[in-house]
Amino acid sequence: MPSSVVGQTPSLTTFLKSLKQNDIENSIELFISLLKRRQIKNSRPCAIATTHLLLRVVAEPKRKWDAQKLIARVRHVGRRLIAAQPREMAVGNIVRRVLGVIREVAERDEDPLTDSEISGSASPITGEFQRPALPTRFSEFSPLHGAAAMPHNMHSGRPGTADSMAMEFGGTPQRPALLSTNASYAGQGPPGTSLFSILQHPQGRSPMATPPPGTQSPVTGPSPSRRAIAGEIPEKLDIKAEVIDGIKELQDELDVVDNQIAESALDHIHSNEIILTHTSSQTVQKFLLTDARKRKFTLFHAEAYPNNHEATHATILNGAQGEDDSDERWKPLTSLGITVILIPDTAVFALMSRINKVILAPHAVLANGSLIAAAGASTIALAAKTHHVPVVVLSGVYKLSPVYPFDTDELIEYGDPSKVVPFEEAEFTDKVDIVNPLYDWVDCDLVDLYITNLGGHAPSYLYRIVADHYRMEDIDLNAKQDAVVKKG
Amino acid sequence: MAPKARKTGEPLEAKETLQAVIIADSYEDRFLPFTLERPRCLLTLANMPLIEYTCEWLASVGVEEVFVCSGNHTDQVETYLNNSRWTKDTSPFSLEVVRSTSTSVGDAMRDLDQKGLMKGDFICVYGDVIANIPFDAALKAHRARREKSKNAIMTMVLREAGDYHRTKDQHHRRCFVIDPETDRCIHYEQVRPRTSPRLNIPEEVLKDHVEIDMREDLIDCGIDIYTPDALAQWSDSFDWKLPRQDFVHGVLQDFETFGRTIHTYIVNEGYAARVNTLRAYDATTKDVVSRWAFPYCPDTNILADQSYQLQKGNLYKEDGVVLARSSTVSHRSVLGKATSIGEGSVITNSIIGRRCVIGRRVRVENAYIWDDARVGDDTVIETAVIANEASIGKKCHVKRGALVSYGVRIADGVTVEENTRITRFKRKRGYDNNEVCQGVTDPKVVGEGGEGFRLDLDEDEEYMYEAMLAGAQELNVTTDGDGISDFESGDEEDEYAHSREPTSRSGSFTSIASDESGETKRDHAKFHREASDSIFDGLQREQDPDHIQLELQAQRLTENAEDNQIRRAVAVAFSRRIANLIEGGRTAKEAVATAILPNQRLIKACVKEAGEQAEFLLFLQTDLVHRAQGSKVLLHVAFVLAGEDMVDGDGLEMWWEDPRSVATEELKKVRAETQPVVDQMAGESEDDDDEEEESDDE
Repeated sequence: MPSSVVGQTPSLTTFLKSLKQNDIENSIELFISLLKRRQIKNSRPCAIATTHLLLRVVAEPKRKWDAQKLIARVRHVGRRLIAAQPREMAVGNIVRRVLGVIREVAERDEDPLTDSEISGSASPITGEFQRPALPTRFSEFSPLHGAAAMPHNMHSGRPGTADSMAMEFGGTPQRPALLSTNASYAGQGPPGTSLFSILQHPQGRSPMATPPPGTQSPVTGPSPSRRAIAGEIPEKLDIKAEVIDGIKELQDELDVVDNQIAESALDHIHSNEIILTHTSSQTVQKFLLTDARKRKFTLFHAEAYPNNHEATHATILNGAQGEDDSDERWKPLTSLGITVILIPDTAVFALMSRINKVILAPHAVLANGSLIAAAGASTIALAAKTHHVPVVVLSGVYKLSPVYPFDTDELIEYGDPSKVVPFEEAEFTDKVDIVNPLYDWVDCDLVDLYITNLGGHAPSYLYRIVADHYRMEDIDLNAKQDAVVKKG
Repeated sequence: MAPKARKTGEPLEAKETLQAVIIADSYEDRFLPFTLERPRCLLTLANMPLIEYTCEWLASVGVEEVFVCSGNHTDQVETYLNNSRWTKDTSPFSLEVVRSTSTSVGDAMRDLDQKGLMKGDFICVYGDVIANIPFDAALKAHRARREKSKNAIMTMVLREAGDYHRTKDQHHRRCFVIDPETDRCIHYEQVRPRTSPRLNIPEEVLKDHVEIDMREDLIDCGIDIYTPDALAQWSDSFDWKLPRQDFVHGVLQDFETFGRTIHTYIVNEGYAARVNTLRAYDATTKDVVSRWAFPYCPDTNILADQSYQLQKGNLYKEDGVVLARSSTVSHRSVLGKATSIGEGSVITNSIIGRRCVIGRRVRVENAYIWDDARVGDDTVIETAVIANEASIGKKCHVKRGALVSYGVRIADGVTVEENTRITRFKRKRGYDNNEVCQGVTDPKVVGEGGEGFRLDLDEDEEYMYEAMLAGAQELNVTTDGDGISDFESGDEEDEYAHSREPTSRSGSFTSIASDESGETKRDHAKFHREASDSIFDGLQREQDPDHIQLELQAQRLTENAEDNQIRRAVAVAFSRRIANLIEGGRTAKEAVATAILPNQRLIKACVKEAGEQAEFLLFLQTDLVHRAQGSKVLLHVAFVLAGEDMVDGDGLEMWWEDPRSVATEELKKVRAETQPVVDQMAGESEDDDDEEEESDDE
């Protein structure tokens, strides 16, 4: 749809295109204004744009980075981006992940001998970030049910990722090395980890099989073999190149994240279940489509009026479309023989007693396991709680933010009231304050399971993934600046 | 007409740079006294200059080149823009300030055309537009039309707004007649305030279009898509000033001749409005604060140094606001950086700028207080605008509709009456001269120790002033006491439109013209309407008098009209032209000179004998009864006609003695001032005789 238009209005697509021509400062400013104007919005486009932008920042030509300089630079850019639209938390998440990559490279650079792949035992600091590429999904650990374990060749069987890095890194040959890393890590990890893992999974799986704390999405962790090669190169690592590789891996993660989540669909949705979902989400659509190929279920789709109902209707009618850069389209669920019933958000409570599972897509997930999702999600989650219906949240790790919510009001954006009451209804709008919150806050108590590209997790476990993906130093980008200043 | 390589098709078109023109000068006085010192586009709305909203919207639309046309206060506009992010390397578009000495939108457009800056179709907006509407569809529709026909020279973007909307201009209701099939605007008129709505839709319009929409529910947000052809149209017509009343009206009238069309694009999502009156300022601010213009709300922090945060009830606070514990700031307010509010003060529904100091126990309601203003203890401010650095003393009362300009100081205990405009500067004499000088402080208005005086609108602006009061009264009836009524300000366009109503006068003529009846009467009325319209148009576009004459002749032959009808048409056309010049800001004398002197031949052609001359004057007199400054005009006309020998003494005398010229009180009143001319002329003709005799003697 947008491609047929004159192509003047800036959007994610034009931004990505312009990145190649514009110089870096221009691109940063452009991204900031696009964020402010909400011309790039929602987590995925924001994340994609941020990775591309940071890639440009790092790859800035004619510039030699040392690690500290690079960190300072990325932080600086990150702060500006976050200030532009603090409620798009994916931006901050990506910035922090990139910072993590830089630090990791820097640490390796400083002391190449402690590299875990070479020494075989990681120091706690470096080890945390030299995550092994784990071959399996963790969806089988879902507390909801004990499904059969993933087939081993899941990677290669993944649809639509032929060109992805996953193929490059996800192959089996690297696996043997991992086990040792895992083991060594488990030994050094916090003592509570294994016990925690046991409690975490009521099925009583063996600790070995629980997601190790060092879990990261498989594609993001640089492969051990590459590591080894990198480590063998004497002294100076090319920081720039290494970081660029890291960011590219991040981009690949964004590419495949939906597919990875969708892979676990069969474990969660069973024949003849009645599912309720809300708003149009690419992730949820893929998830359901994957399942629909094998099974029949009934879907209730709450339309998310007034901010997202049009997209929802389009999704039901024509299938999902990529959020902004839509080159691929999927068939609607109905074409696979699934009964889809569109309901208004208000009917959710009445129907909840018949529903087996609620699937939500968040806008952002916070460190304590609570989430921010399109307005209406809170109602659904509360209704589900009342009826003891499990709530499953599908979220890529990139949506997982290290921010802990102190003031939940601040996180919610208020949109244009004309969606609620049309502008023409002047008599009315003159006298009444109309608010249109775009997001809802859903507390962690109301969520039963998170499915990320790493697998399934209980909300209470998310803090651990946060710890794995983000460095402590980077969690507060502003505060750290002070610390750096003090140090300097 | 335009050198356009349209045929190459889509891909080339996409590459075309999208250009935009911002008309930064309003060429109006509705924001007096603020616009004395600062251009309108730099006034702040919700603590951000208006032009920022406009630029931001243009950037969001994907414009790549912007030209800012500025007449007045160009330096300030330029300085501001040079320091803003729009001229930095990172700006999404290139921006150039076009300096010109224009005194109207028309001048600015002609200037642009001359400079040849516009390469293709472009967006034309005012520097006071606030919009967030998506524009792709409008542009696409426009381009599709252009592909089909080169005559589609302009697209107006209009926002649907229902019958009554605070943001819609209630004063001059703009009425668009649109063919819904082609979105073509086929007729445009402004309905005068306080009159029962009545449109004069030409017959052809009804004949040619199967379906027409007559819409009065549209906000004219001043966003147009122009083509180079449209620009050329401006250049062709030297006296067009206003984009709607002159340009749209003119082009539509010439449709029969040139076939050029103007289209509309009606938007029904998003926000678009123009801040062109104080009332609109009030309404738009409310819209921005209640997030209708999302994402252009204070908490988006569009400017890099802003740090607004939204709190419950649409209350926006920037960092570093100091609120006393016992103060109350209630909903729909905006507080700028480093503003402090004293104990026990109550702020409701108000915008307060940066670094303001509000004293203790102050009550501020629906007010706009700009940066660095000070308000003393126990003061009450209601629905007023307090400009930058103004200071209000203790125990003052600023009443509704008061406007306190930059740097004015109001001493303790003073009451500022309703609708007072207080300023420190005034415009130097001479209307076109925009220099300002400091006025003399009037202690009666600002109190002892204060600074500033009351700005009384001078003679030329009298109409506006009247319009303001009248508007306020009317609005008080409809929207009872919500405060905004006082923000009504006058409007010159409006008066102007009045003078263009083509047929309203014709009725009064039948009484004196002749005793016609039935069909002939109607025929005559029709001829009169058409002829006078075409002459008037010719005059307005300053066509060659021979040309006008030719056209008139043709019309006369087709309608088989009599001579006296032609005289009547000419008289009325001149009278209208003069009235319109006067409303354009000329004095009666200038107007008469501009209208008549170049077109002497036209008058001479239809008045030859004394009897005809008398009749011509009579027609003129009758028409001038309704016009502004009619008596003055008549005086000058008589003077000029006599001076240039278009009318001789006999003709004047015959007219003067004609019983029809004193038939009513009004007629008498109008001609009263002309008495001396007639006396003199009568005397002169005798003198002439004497002189001739004398010369004969020699």
